[in-house]
This record gives sequence, structure tokens and C-alpha cells, in this order.
Amino acid sequence: MKFPRDDFRKEGAIVLPVFNEEMNLRTTVDEIRGAGIRWDIVMVDDGSTDGSREVLVNLPVTVLSHPVNLGYGAAVQTGLRYAVSRGYGTVVLMDADGQHVPSEIPNLLAALEKGADIVIGSRLLGEPSGYRIPLLRRMGITFFSALAKMLGGTKIYDVTSGFQAMRLEVARFLAKEYPVDFPDAEVIISLGLRKFRIVEVPARFRTRVHGSSMYSNPGRALYYPFKSLLASFIVLLRLIGLKK
Amino acid sequence: MSLQAKLVITAFALFNVLFVVELLRKRKLSESYTLMWLFVIAAVVFFTWAERFLSSITSYLGAITPVSTLTLLSLLFILVMLIFFSMKIYKMERLIKEMAQRVALDNPKGNVDSKA
Repeated sequence: MKFPRDDFRKEGAIVLPVFNEEMNLRTTVDEIRGAGIRWDIVMVDDGSTDGSREVLVNLPVTVLSHPVNLGYGAAVQTGLRYAVSRGYGTVVLMDADGQHVPSEIPNLLAALEKGADIVIGSRLLGEPSGYRIPLLRRMGITFFSALAKMLGGTKIYDVTSGFQAMRLEVARFLAKEYPVDFPDAEVIISLGLRKFRIVEVPARFRTRVHGSSMYSNPGRALYYPFKSLLASFIVLLRLIGLKK
Repeated sequence: MSLQAKLVITAFALFNVLFVVELLRKRKLSESYTLMWLFVIAAVVFFTWAERFLSSITSYLGAITPVSTLTLLSLLFILVMLIFFSMKIYKMERLIKEMAQRVALDNPKGNVDSKA
């Protein structure tokens, strides 16, 4: 598929948070370039302890390195801050673990072109791609999707998807304040309450081959629903506070 | 409260005064925290010796002995302090995050484009 606009090549950035992904980095970059995307690739190394830093140095990407591990959300925020400071008109967020398929990026951008402020690439829409979501996680996604609809007013099925494309205004907003961990329903609600147009489009996902997900830690998996639930309601309270 | 108990608490309080002042001298504690702990120690000594005051609070709370009241007040104080220090830790976390992000943003490496 062709990109939506001819001036697509240098107007955006692909931001990828990286934490211990040495086995996936080169493939991910090759796939992005292989998909014909010439945008700048910004990889934010979140204090990796494997060989990710060494791999990153030899890749044709911009590397931002956290001296210590701050968390997924902080890495995303650093990438957004960089993109905003450089004045990129569009920012694509995707994971560096190979689960997000770069050739889907044009589909996300096409939805941006149609007027969305932020586009979420969804595993739950469209044809099944063979990507399996564990039952408990699927239940969590369903619950937080309903919560996001109730509090934020926008129905997004795949609220935990980190595969997103956004306009500069959204990137600027998120760069100011972004949750350090599990930035899922909270972000959707926050954007919905501020009347950003959120659109969800089908996107193929793949099962990770190397490394492990941040959700695979049992302690964090247990912490996730409580944190997200509390954070979702706090977003609402903060907005009420702002209006007063 | 027995005289022995009062003396033990007072001695312990005095030891703590010396301890926090020494920490301040060695630059292991800030002036603001030292002051806070000195006020706390002063409050403990006050409650220990101001028997009437402590007794009136004890009867108001329905506690059995003044020592129970002191324990309850101490627990409440500890709870407040834990919340206070949680706030401090969170503030430090935010500062560390901000610093680490600035380090990353100020030192981009590799294929940095020329838009800046």
C-alpha cells in the first residue's frame, strides 16, 4: 500500500521504546525500512541490560538512552518529547519486540488522514491474524475497554495496544504527562475527555519470538488491573479539578 | 505512668536529640528534617510529663491507660510520616525520571536528523 501523502517521507517519526530487545531490533528496523517507510526511527533504550545498546549503535536509527530503567511509559514519553522538540508532524508508536507489523503503519496513517487525531492499531478488529491473547488478559482488555467508553466516551476495543499513530497535538499533550507503567485505558480516557478524535483500525500482530513481555511478570500482572482502575478514575478527577 | 517509665522515655528522647543533631553535623540529615524530628521528640517528652493533659485525652478516647494513648498517637504519627515519605519518594522518582529523560534527550546518538 502506498503512503497517504507524497510528503510522507520526512515528516514523521517512528518511536520505539526498547528494553532488552537485542534479538529483535535489527529485524524490526529492517522491516520498517522494508515496508518503504523512510521516516526517522527513534529508539528509546530504557536502560537495557542485555546487548541492546551495542546493537542500536550499529543501526541506522536515532538512539535516546535512559541511564537507568524508568519503565515503558517513561520511554514512550521520552520518544514523544524528542519528536515534539523536533517538530515532527506525525508520530507512530510501536513496540520493538516484533509484535507490531510495520507494513500496517500506512493503514494507521490513512485513518489519520481521514481526520483522526490518534489511531490505535487493533488486534481485535478485522480478520484474526493468529495472534493469541491469553484469556485473563482478554478479560482485562474487555473490562478496561468498557471502562474507557464509560469514562472517556470513546469505544476502543484494544485499549492495551501500543501500536498507535498520532498527530503532533496529541504527541505534545502526551509528552507533557504520560503514565510510567501500563499507559492503556488511562491514556484513552484522558484523550477522550479532551475531545481528541480516537479511531481504531484493524492491525495484524504477531507473537513475540524473543524475550518476554512486561505483562509476563506475575506480580506486575496482578498490579496492572488495580493500577489501571485507580488511574482511570483519577484522570476523571483531575479533569474535574482543572475545570474548577 | 510510673516515674521509671517517664525517665526511660526522657532518656531515650535525649539520646535521639543527640543522634539527629549528630546526623545533621555529619551532613546525613537536612536542617528541615532535623527540626521536624526535634519537634517530634519535644512532643513525646511533653506528653510523657504533662500527665493531666495525657489523662484527659485518655479519658476522651476511652483508652485504658495513658500509655495506650501514647501508643495510639505514635501509630497515627507513624502513619502520617509514612504517607509523607511516600510523597517524598514519589517526588524523587519524578525528579530522577526527568533527569534521566533529559540526559537521553540531550544526547541523541546515531542517525539524528537536522531538524533541531
